[in-house]
Amino acid sequence: MPMVLLECDKDIPEREKHIYLKVDGEDTRDFLPVSNAQTIPGTLSERGCAFCGAKLVIGGVLKDTIQMIHGPIGCAYDTWHTKRYPTDNGHFNMKYVWSTDMKESHIVFGGEKRLEKSINEAFDEMPEIKRMFVYTTCPTALIGDDIKAVAKKVMQERPDVDIFTVECPGFAGVSQSKGHHVLNIGWINEKVGTLEPTITSEFTMNFIGDFNIQGDTQLLNTYWEKLGIQVIAHFTGNGTYDDLRCMHRAQLNVVNCARSSGYIANELKKQYGIPRLDIDSWGFSYMEEAIRKITAFFGIEDRGEKLIAEENAKWKGKLDWYKERLKGTKMAIWTGGPRLWHWTKSVEDDLGVQVVAMSSKFGHQEDFEKVIARGASGTYYIDDGNELEFFEIIDRVRPDVIFTGPRVGELVKKLHIPYVNGHGYHNGPYMGFEGFVNLARDMYNAVHNPLLKLAATDIRANDVVAYREAAE
Amino acid sequence: MISPAHNAKADQLFAYVQERCLWQFFSRTWDRQENIEGIVDAASALLTGKQPPRHTPMEKLFYSDAVIMVADFRKRFPWIESENPSHIHEILGVLKEKLVDIAITNSKNHELSHSLY
Repeated sequence: MPMVLLECDKDIPEREKHIYLKVDGEDTRDFLPVSNAQTIPGTLSERGCAFCGAKLVIGGVLKDTIQMIHGPIGCAYDTWHTKRYPTDNGHFNMKYVWSTDMKESHIVFGGEKRLEKSINEAFDEMPEIKRMFVYTTCPTALIGDDIKAVAKKVMQERPDVDIFTVECPGFAGVSQSKGHHVLNIGWINEKVGTLEPTITSEFTMNFIGDFNIQGDTQLLNTYWEKLGIQVIAHFTGNGTYDDLRCMHRAQLNVVNCARSSGYIANELKKQYGIPRLDIDSWGFSYMEEAIRKITAFFGIEDRGEKLIAEENAKWKGKLDWYKERLKGTKMAIWTGGPRLWHWTKSVEDDLGVQVVAMSSKFGHQEDFEKVIARGASGTYYIDDGNELEFFEIIDRVRPDVIFTGPRVGELVKKLHIPYVNGHGYHNGPYMGFEGFVNLARDMYNAVHNPLLKLAATDIRANDVVAYREAAE
Repeated sequence: MISPAHNAKADQLFAYVQERCLWQFFSRTWDRQENIEGIVDAASALLTGKQPPRHTPMEKLFYSDAVIMVADFRKRFPWIESENPSHIHEILGVLKEKLVDIAITNSKNHELSHSLY
């Protein structure tokens, strides 16, 4: 009975193909959930749109680039400030939001003039910024605004600026995954190779698929600096527009998030012959392995061992303190896709935590191959899960903590199950050695929070009538 | 014909690779094939006392994945030290077949053969 039809899905039986319960003796040759497929009518999906995948996940991270959103104001607001990716230049990307604020008349008569005016206004207001991404959205794509032509005209008139266009309206794909794809392929085809980097080390790499969530990139960068490796481009955590134009000069592509950014790593290999090395950056065991692989590639293994020893000396004792207290904790992971396979074994090996259910919003079958290969038997693997399914799965597996986003997190808190922000983190960074201690600390604080027990205790008198109180 | 004992040993290595190695699950059939061939061959060389080539970028990549895997094999599966070179080649050959089977031939991943990334 590996594929599971939940009670709440009895009226949408197609959902059975998206929920898998692993049992001993099975593998991905037997069952693989359907994924990266259109959301089934009747299910309340938690996915984002394709535009969101391009802007909120990848483009909006850059620290020196105006993100001009050609559409109604909501497309801008809803993809701004909801992810925590700081930068080392004062968080330019998180302070500002730009939109052409399209209204009905612009939709009727066309928005290209308004876009041109907005681009010029933004550059005039921020004269120190010379780089811009322009995104189309659902309405501006539907009316056929030619954002590439507008960008070209502005670049001819303002030779010191460079503009990249992302033509990926929200409806372009089944989830935010399509936006990752469009931005990756657009960037490699239009911008990589248009600038030459200054090489400062005999060892160079791109670090791909890490978005500096609460400082992940900056923490990992201390490792690469200690190892003497020059990171030509960070795609895109704490990154710059021009660094990303230089990606063709790296000797190695190191990939963390293969889902959002595997496309550009594949193309860099195909077009420029740069090999792709996939790693996991969360967890002690994985981070050690990643450092060993990278230093083996460059033939600087001694530096890698020294770094691993230093970091273990600093952080291993703290990790073990939490491991002692977290052992046996049951965890659910309901995030985007890759964190399922990045985390399921690292929390088990490094913290003694058992992952009992995982749900992916936008993962592809490749992600489910990875997570089912790594994950435990008796664990649920869900594609594009909805709230009712989450509640039913909770009843089945009774997790002690759920790593998910704030929306689902607030729901599960009502069941007195603690959640930790699995997207933007509670108190990150979570990558690297120090980061995994942070993750362990947040999990410990969540699981052992005494408020949970207090919140579950009804201290009102027995004669309180709940519905009357609610109506008052 | 491989002996049941060697097949069981290949199963142990296969379980390790499934759990630890992301390179078996790259995006497309040809990437997976290239990785499985390159990394398992480099591992075979290392386990039989030879140095795999490290001249081209891809050879360096295969080496860096293989050298970590081999270190783990030695730690987790002590029997591997006492196998002679022909047995190592045989066992890793079976490992390769098992990886090709799960990651390529019988994979249910519908995106594996798409011509574009």
